[in-house]
Amino acid sequence: MTTAQILVTLGSIVLAALLALLMIPVLVWLERRVCGLIQDRPGPNRTNVFGFRLGGVVQSFADVVKLVTKEEYIPDHIRYGRWIFLLAPMITFASALLAFMVIPFADTVQVDGAALRIQGLPVSYGILWYLAIGSVGILGMVFGGWLSHNKYSLLGALRAAAQMISYELALGLGIISMILTYDTIDFNAMVQWQSGTFWGFIPAWGLFIQPFAAVIIIIALFVETNRAPFSVAEGESEIVAGFFTEYTAMKFAMYFMGEYVAMNTASAVIVTMFLGGYQLPWFSTAALLEHFRTVAGVLLLLVPVVMTLFILWMRRNNRVRLTLSTDGGRGRETRILTGVLIGTTLLIEAILLWLLLEPAGSIGASVAVPLLQIVIFVVKLMLVNLFIILIRWTLPRFRYDQVQVLGWRYLLPAALANLFVTSIIVAGVGS
Amino acid sequence: MNDTVKPTRITTVPRYGDQPADKLYLPAIYAGIKVTLGHFVRNVLDITAMETLEYPEEQPTDITSRYRGLHRLTHREDGSIRCVACFMCATACPAQCINIIATERTDGIDEKMPEIFAIDTLECVFCGMCVEACPCDAIRMDTGIFSVTGKTREDFVLQRDRLLSHTGAFETEQTRNKEASHD
Ligand code: SF4
Ligand code: SF4
Repeated sequence: MTTAQILVTLGSIVLAALLALLMIPVLVWLERRVCGLIQDRPGPNRTNVFGFRLGGVVQSFADVVKLVTKEEYIPDHIRYGRWIFLLAPMITFASALLAFMVIPFADTVQVDGAALRIQGLPVSYGILWYLAIGSVGILGMVFGGWLSHNKYSLLGALRAAAQMISYELALGLGIISMILTYDTIDFNAMVQWQSGTFWGFIPAWGLFIQPFAAVIIIIALFVETNRAPFSVAEGESEIVAGFFTEYTAMKFAMYFMGEYVAMNTASAVIVTMFLGGYQLPWFSTAALLEHFRTVAGVLLLLVPVVMTLFILWMRRNNRVRLTLSTDGGRGRETRILTGVLIGTTLLIEAILLWLLLEPAGSIGASVAVPLLQIVIFVVKLMLVNLFIILIRWTLPRFRYDQVQVLGWRYLLPAALANLFVTSIIVAGVGS
Repeated sequence: MNDTVKPTRITTVPRYGDQPADKLYLPAIYAGIKVTLGHFVRNVLDITAMETLEYPEEQPTDITSRYRGLHRLTHREDGSIRCVACFMCATACPAQCINIIATERTDGIDEKMPEIFAIDTLECVFCGMCVEACPCDAIRMDTGIFSVTGKTREDFVLQRDRLLSHTGAFETEQTRNKEASHD
């Protein structure tokens, strides 16, 4: 391997780890702020480091500090299998994290004659890996619930397991129909498949090609990640906290973070399978590379506009109240952040300008296109995460029996029917 | 069982959820998202659109005169303490958090007054029984103060002078005193 290849490989591993891990505080923050804003209250907006609140993200880090320094408490009645009790949260967390590693963030890049995947784990059987590793997370929940020797935990674990069994089927069948459609088990190939259009103007995203499967898989993924409206495994109102009732401090945090990583992974799968992954609609990677100057020119105009709007929004909203004179140092923060943002904009502009003026066929475009695709992927990922959070704060939780009825009576037959129709169409088109 | 009572006022509440559109559940989700997203977008675009008070920078302005806030001991017209240390309030208090030690009053205005009058607000349930019990209108809860803060437990035990220093938030003491003397 040449140095450039090693750099690209390392870069994509680091990127995958960062995208999964740094997303946790951001998602926790997003969840709280979005929940607050939906309910007409501001949400956490006070914690600060040297007056920097960053809209409240700092709160998540304060929470981490709190959880790390809290007392680790193992109840006395847990005598057997303590080590599995301790291991269980890690299983859940690790499986969620590992499942994220097969998501492609950008198209394969040609470096010194080798096509490198921009994935944490450069494998071509992404979906199998996701299904296999993603399902291991339930083991952590079952172990934790069982070994807590507590009926609430046991009930929670039982519910999690039953829920998983009933929805894994629908999820698997839905994914099989997508595999048939795309004719691949490689996430990256799926994204490439989606780069075209049909009827000339609709981007060939999975969402438009298989809307039925999309609904089934998205519902099943909600269940997989134990998110509301399917959070019966935690069921605060019935079984205390479900399978992690007996967990404290960082062990609890592992489950908590695992949940968010799993949610992020689910969003990434939705983006990759149904929303065209890292692709800009109507622009395949080849088209991007070809018309790179045009794209750079458009970006050159677009970036300042977006940044200006953002700065205006920040100046307007980063304060306690328009009518109040005290703002707890928010004015200073706004000024500094404005400076930083303007600096960033100028830097991006300079880079874009350089790309525009640079001679054709040099390395610039082939580096900038993956970067652009990564940005697109992250934007899509955040939007889907926002959607999942929005759903949580919109819908009440299903009763446990309703969850089972929905899974077995409606989702499973629907997924089967979808699979049949897909198979017939695929066979018909293929022959 | 009373057989003569006929169930005349029973109304049948319409049941929803049997239509195919309801069973599908997705239209309901769409309608719900429309509501929540509407609130979200409105509040993101203008953070001041929210009604939530940014306490402590913003203080509530809607405390009514009937609000039972922190206690105060009232004054006579000449500015001296009104309480005659009759222990009525301490007797009425369900939380038994009023501690009074009486002393003789030597200025000729009255015979008795409290030397120590302490209310332990950590035990107080803010029921207002003391105010009801007082025969002299010497204790009131009309200060409008809704928060007590302190660093030690002792900070929460309000002593006589602190109680005397609280002022009524809604009318001047004089007007209320005049009203009281009319009836
Ligand atoms: S408000 Fe109630 S509990 Fe508090 S001091 Fe008065 S009588 Fe006692
Ligand atoms: S406050 Fe009123 S009831 Fe209590 S001791 Fe004084 S005069 Fe009596």
